[in-house]
Amino acid sequence: MSPDVVEEKEEESNALVWLTGFALLAAMIAIFIYVPTERKEGLIQRIMYFHVPCAWLSFFAFFVVFICSILFLWKKDREWDIYAHASAEIGVVFCSLVLITGPIWARPVWGAWWVWDARLTSTLILWIIYVSYLMLRAQSDAGSMRARYAAVLGIVGFLNIPFIHFSVLWWRTFHPQSKVITNEGIGKGMDPSMLATLGISLCAFTLLYFLLMGERVRQEKLKDEIDRLKREKLYSS
Amino acid sequence: MNLFLSQIAAIVWKDFVTELKTRELFSAMFIFALLVMLIFIFSVNLSIVKASEVGPGILWVAFLFSGTLGLNRSFVLEKENGCLMGLMLVPADRTVIYFGKLISNFVFLTIMELFILPLFMIFFNIDLIEHLLPLLLVIFLGTLGFCALGTLLSSLASNLKTREIMLPILLYPLLVPIVIGVVRMTGQILAGEPLSEMMNWIGLTASFDIIYIGVSIMTIDHILEE
Repeated sequence: MSPDVVEEKEEESNALVWLTGFALLAAMIAIFIYVPTERKEGLIQRIMYFHVPCAWLSFFAFFVVFICSILFLWKKDREWDIYAHASAEIGVVFCSLVLITGPIWARPVWGAWWVWDARLTSTLILWIIYVSYLMLRAQSDAGSMRARYAAVLGIVGFLNIPFIHFSVLWWRTFHPQSKVITNEGIGKGMDPSMLATLGISLCAFTLLYFLLMGERVRQEKLKDEIDRLKREKLYSS
Repeated sequence: MNLFLSQIAAIVWKDFVTELKTRELFSAMFIFALLVMLIFIFSVNLSIVKASEVGPGILWVAFLFSGTLGLNRSFVLEKENGCLMGLMLVPADRTVIYFGKLISNFVFLTIMELFILPLFMIFFNIDLIEHLLPLLLVIFLGTLGFCALGTLLSSLASNLKTREIMLPILLYPLLVPIVIGVVRMTGQILAGEPLSEMMNWIGLTASFDIIYIGVSIMTIDHILEE
């Protein structure tokens, strides 16, 4: 890479850092200052503005894993493997946050940390699937085998989601019904200020995903580069 | 087409001959399933809990745990003495290996299940005879789904350093939908409900079977590649 290209890339990522920073700041202001406290649930309801974006981000990340896994098996290009790996890691982190913020909210509102509701159960199973995906990556040595196996698991795991969804839905459900998209149309079930806050928060988290993704991919590429240089030096000397 | 089928038959026949000669796998699976059932019987108090309520769950846990033993063996056996390499050198499609292994895993597990069912009937005092046909359909669908996904992941796990540990970790979370489905259906059948009451579950497990066999056909080439 020529120095000019590197500089340009750095400028781009700097812009993304600033943009994400501002968006997160705006989201914080909206969540803690602007939006009114919910009448029935009280202060604890504000955790929803973190919980829902985290859930969105993790599902989006797992979808990216699925797409990148298919592209990897098709093109056999290390690039897609890196993307799938980075996205799975980010997805697991935010899925863990969903599983942590959920019980914190549920304890005062439902009176229990955990209930075996459909959405809780499916999020937990999803979390386990992608933790096992990362374990598979950790267990196998770097190279084409690891990438191929992980890609197969990335596809198989994502295709499992509809089955998990329906099976636990028919099993039982008590999760609060979705308020943003209801039968009456989009955004009718919520106060406009709350909807705006949720929107800002969603945007901020989506930007955060791309920021983290860029950083993680860059790290992984540097790692590849170091490995390559090491091998080069080892065999040339 | 004929060649494809005879190639699959050759792999299944090979697995059966090996099993008949060694008799390692079947007895181990059977005893293990029995032990799992016994441990669960000790862990729940059958004088308080109704046997027909916990029975289906225990039955399927026994099937899945002992089935995992079989899956673990199925590709590891080939790894010894480089047999898998031999299989891959055969001028045949890789899906042949998958289907051959799928069928032999499925048949071993089904035979084992048919031996376990009478014992289940005795231990839990549940009359299975009158519900036998719908029950066999559910066992067929559940076992097929388990073997479809299990054979794919077992071929994948057999190349890892920690294969015996990784197979259940990879397999069980993905099996959750089918486990919920078959346990529900078995419970409803034992309660005397007709099959038409649970068409949604039958559809779910059947589409699970079909989709995972399809995905395996598409991805097995990428796993068995060396």
